[in-house]
Amino acid sequence: MNSTRIEKQRYTRRNRRIIMIGGFFSVLYVLIGLKAFYLQVIKDDDLSEKASSQYQKDIQGRGKRGSIYDANYRELAVSADVVEIGVHPQSVRDKENKKITDKRKLAGVVAGALKMNANFLYKKFKSTAPFVWIDRRVTPAKASALKALGFRGFEYFPTYCRVYPQKALAAQVIGFSGTDGDGLEGLEQYYDEDLKGNIRQWTIIRDAMGRIFDRHESCAPGYEGNNLILTIDATIQYIAEKALKKSVQENNAKDGVAIVMDPETGAIKAIANYPSYNPNSFNLFPKETWRNKALTDPFEPGSTMKIFLVAAALESGMCNPETVINCESGQYRIGRNVIHDTHSHDDLTVHDVIKYSSNIGAAKIAEMIGPAALYNTLRNFGFGEKTGIDCPGESKGLLRNYQSWKKIDNATIAFGQGISVSAIQLISAISAVANNGVLMKPYIVKAITDEHGKIIKSFAPIERRNAIMPDTADALIEMMHAVTERDGTGWQAVPVGYTVCGKTGTAQKLNARGTYRNCEYNGLFVGFSPARSPVLAVLVVIDEPQKHHYGGVVAAPVFKEIVHETFNYLNIAPTSTKEQLNVSNGLGKRGGA
Amino acid sequence: MKQTQPKNYFSFDVSMLLPVLFLTGIGIAMVYSASSEIALRDYGNEYYFFTKQLIFAGVGLCALLICRYIPYRLYHSLTYVLIAGAIIMLVAVLIKGMGHDVNGAARWLRFKGFRFQPVEFARFALIVFMGYSLTKKQDLIEDFKIGFLPHVIMLVIFSMLIIMQPDFGSTALFWMMAWIIMFAGRVRIKHLVSAFILLLPAAAYLIFSSDYRLKRYMTFLDPWKYPQAEGYQITHSLMGFGSGGIWGQGFGQGYQKLFYLPDPHTDFIFSVIGEEGGLRWVLIVLFLYFVILWRGLAIAKSKQDFFGSLLALGITVSITLQAVINMGVNLSLLPTKGLTLPFLSYGGSSLVINLAIIGILMNIWASQKQ
Repeated sequence: MNSTRIEKQRYTRRNRRIIMIGGFFSVLYVLIGLKAFYLQVIKDDDLSEKASSQYQKDIQGRGKRGSIYDANYRELAVSADVVEIGVHPQSVRDKENKKITDKRKLAGVVAGALKMNANFLYKKFKSTAPFVWIDRRVTPAKASALKALGFRGFEYFPTYCRVYPQKALAAQVIGFSGTDGDGLEGLEQYYDEDLKGNIRQWTIIRDAMGRIFDRHESCAPGYEGNNLILTIDATIQYIAEKALKKSVQENNAKDGVAIVMDPETGAIKAIANYPSYNPNSFNLFPKETWRNKALTDPFEPGSTMKIFLVAAALESGMCNPETVINCESGQYRIGRNVIHDTHSHDDLTVHDVIKYSSNIGAAKIAEMIGPAALYNTLRNFGFGEKTGIDCPGESKGLLRNYQSWKKIDNATIAFGQGISVSAIQLISAISAVANNGVLMKPYIVKAITDEHGKIIKSFAPIERRNAIMPDTADALIEMMHAVTERDGTGWQAVPVGYTVCGKTGTAQKLNARGTYRNCEYNGLFVGFSPARSPVLAVLVVIDEPQKHHYGGVVAAPVFKEIVHETFNYLNIAPTSTKEQLNVSNGLGKRGGA
Repeated sequence: MKQTQPKNYFSFDVSMLLPVLFLTGIGIAMVYSASSEIALRDYGNEYYFFTKQLIFAGVGLCALLICRYIPYRLYHSLTYVLIAGAIIMLVAVLIKGMGHDVNGAARWLRFKGFRFQPVEFARFALIVFMGYSLTKKQDLIEDFKIGFLPHVIMLVIFSMLIIMQPDFGSTALFWMMAWIIMFAGRVRIKHLVSAFILLLPAAAYLIFSSDYRLKRYMTFLDPWKYPQAEGYQITHSLMGFGSGGIWGQGFGQGYQKLFYLPDPHTDFIFSVIGEEGGLRWVLIVLFLYFVILWRGLAIAKSKQDFFGSLLALGITVSITLQAVINMGVNLSLLPTKGLTLPFLSYGGSSLVINLAIIGILMNIWASQKQ
C-alpha cells in the first residue's frame, strides 16, 4: 500500500513538472509568435523596403531618340537598335542545363555567333567577377544568333546607339549625343528635349549574384522622341564641304567656313566647316573640330563691311552711287594713323569705291555720314546681336556703341576693322540686301515630326526687320554686281552663265594683344546669285591661307563652285547667253594674264 | 498491471499524427520553393533537393510505421547497446577518412552510399538513457551522486565528442534536453539550478574562446551593424519575414532564397515560410508544433510507466526544443546555431529520425490504451 502511495505521489509530482515544462515551452511559442507579429506587421514596411532595396532596382530609361533628316528626308542622325550583352562567367550552362567546363570551346562557339574574337571572349569567360560585359553594341541579328544557341547565363539588354550615316557631313551642325543619349553638341543639343525619348521607368529583380530575373523591354513603343526635318540639303551641304575643303587644302589654310542660305526665307541650305570630324567616333577628334565656327567664332569682316557702309550712306541721303570721292592717291592720314589702298585711286564714285574696294574711299564716306549713321545701319543689319538661329553657341560678335568710337574707329569700321562679326551674321546681312532690305532670321529646322512621321511643329520664315529701304537695296545690288565684273575684285566668283552680286574681303587677323599680324589673314567672299531674284546667298571664309590671302583669290572660286554645282543640282537655268559669253571671255583674259 | 502491448493494431493518435504529416508536407513544398534556384545552380536540376526530401519523407514514414509496432520497452533493455552504438558512431565521424567534411565540420558518416548524421541518433540514445536511468534511480533520485551526477557524466562524454566535430548547437541542445528530462524525472531542482549556475562560466568560456562564436553572439545583439559580414544571414532572414507581412508574397514568390539568404532550405526555411506564407503560415506552423507539444506531454503524463513517460517526454522535448531554437534563431531571438527545424528543414537524418521517434511516441500512446 505504502509503495503504491509513494508511486502515486511520484506520478503526480512528475506530471506537475511535465505541465510546467509544457507551460515553459508554450510561453516560448508565444514569444516566437509575438516576434513574428512584430516583424511582419509592425516592422513590415521598414523591412520589406530594406529587402527590396537589395533585389529590386528601379531603372529609368528613355525611349528611342528621334532621327534628324535633311530637307529631302535623307537620314543624317538615327538611333539604331542594338543589344548590350553580358555574361555571368561562373554560371554559363548549355541547352541541357549542364555546366560548361570547356570555356575555350564556349568562347569559340560564341565568337562564331557574334563574329567576335574568340581569345577576347575566352578572357571574359575566365573572369572571376560575377558579371562582365561582352559587347554593348551588338546588332539584334547577332544577339538572336547567340540566343538561339540556348546558353544560360547570358544577359541581353536591348538599347540603341546613335549613328550618323553621312559621317562627317554637316557634323558641326548636327553635333552628337553621348553614350547616355543626351545631346552634347549642335542640333542634338539644341533640340535635345524634342529628340529625346520619353522617360520610362521599370523595375528589375536581381538575385544576390546580380542576375536579372524579371525585366521589361526597354524598346517599348510610345516613348520615342520626335524627329527633326532640316532646311539643310545634304547634296548642297556636300557641294559646299567639297569646295571649301579644296580651297583650304590648296591654300594651306588653317580652316574655313562656308554658308549657303536662301536669302528670301533665311533657311540654311548648308553650313560647312573644315576641318571636320566624324560624329560616330567624335572623341577620336580634337574638340576644336566639333565647334560650328560659322556661329561661334567671330572675325573681322574686312572689306565686306563696305557694302553696309554704303548702305548707311545711301540711307542717310548724303550721297548717291554717283557721288565722287577723292581717294587721295592711296594715302590718307587720320590723326596719327595713315590709311592705305592696295591700288591708288584719285577720284572714285561711291559705286567704284565698292567695285575696287577702296579703303580710303570707305573712310571718307564714313567721315561724311558720321558714326551714328554707320552704327545704326550696322545694328539694323543685325551686327552686334545674335541672329537667333536655332543652334547652340552663337556669338553676337563685337560692335561697340558709336559713342565710344574715336575718329579712327569710325574710319576703320567702315572697311571692316575694329568690328567682329560671325559668319551667320554676315550672310544674314547680305541676304537682307538680296531680299529687298528685309532681314530674315536664319533657321535650320523646318519641321518637327512625331514617331509616326506626322508633322507636329513647322517653322515658317521670320522677318526680323527692314534693315534698309528697297531702293537702297537695289542700288547696292547694282554695285555688288559690278564687283564681279571683269575688272572687279570678285570676278573669280562668277560661274559660267550666271550673274553674281558679291563683295570680297581680306582681313588681317588680330593677335592676342590686339595688334594686327602681318602674315595672317582671312580671305572672304560673300554674295548671292543670280543678281536679280537671287536664289542663293553664299559666304566663304578661308582662315589663314598661306599661298594667297585675297578673298577674291581664295574665297571667290569656292563661291563660284558652290553656286555653279548647286544651280546644276537645283536645275536653275543660266541667266543669259550674252552674259555667259562675256564672263567666259573675261575668264580667258584673266586666266592668261 | 503493466500493459505495454496495444490492443488495436491499426489505431494511431490522429491528433499527433496529423500535425506531423501536415508539417512534413509543408516541409516538402517549402524545400522545393526554397532550394530550386540553388539546386539549379549547383546540380542543374531544380528538383534535386525536392526529390531527395520526398524520398526521405517516404523512408521516414516507413520508419514511423515500423516504430509504431516496435514495443517501446525494447529500448529499455537495449539502452547500453544504443549508447555504445552512438558513441562508436560519434568517434567514427571524428576519424579522418570515415567522417565526411562539410564546411570544415565533420558531421556526416558515410555508409554504402548513404550519409548519416550520428548526432541525430545520439540524441535518441541520450533520451533512452535518461529515461532508463532516471526510472531505475527513482528511489534515490534526490541523491546528488545517484540521481544527478551519472546523467551529467554521460552528457559530458557525449558533449566532448560532439564539440570536437565541432557542433556547438547540438551540444547546447543535448544539455537543455537532458536538464528538462531530469526535471521531469524528479531530480532535485536545487541540483539542476546550482549546476546550471556553475555551468554558466563554462558556457561563457566556450562562447568567448572561439572567435566565430563570439562574433555570432555580437551580431545577435545587433545584426544590422554587420549587414555584410556575420549579420548577413540574420538580417536577410529578418527582411524575409518583413517582406512577407501578414499574407506573404505567395508560394515560390520569395526573393531571399535567390542567393541572398544562405541555407534557405535547411537552417532558414522558417524565414522562407515567413516571406512566402506571411504571418498566416508562421502562426499555422507554430500552432502545429504547439499541438505536437501538448499531445506529446499528454502521452507522457498518461503513462504510469516511468520509462515510457520519460521517453515520450524526451521525444516531445527534443522536437520542441529544436523547433523553438531554430525559430528563435530565424527571428533573431537567439544567436545563430546550426540547428534545423524538425519535419520542415531539408535533411535526411533529421527527418527520418524525427518521424521514427514520432512512431515510438505512437507506440507509447497505443500501449497505454486498455
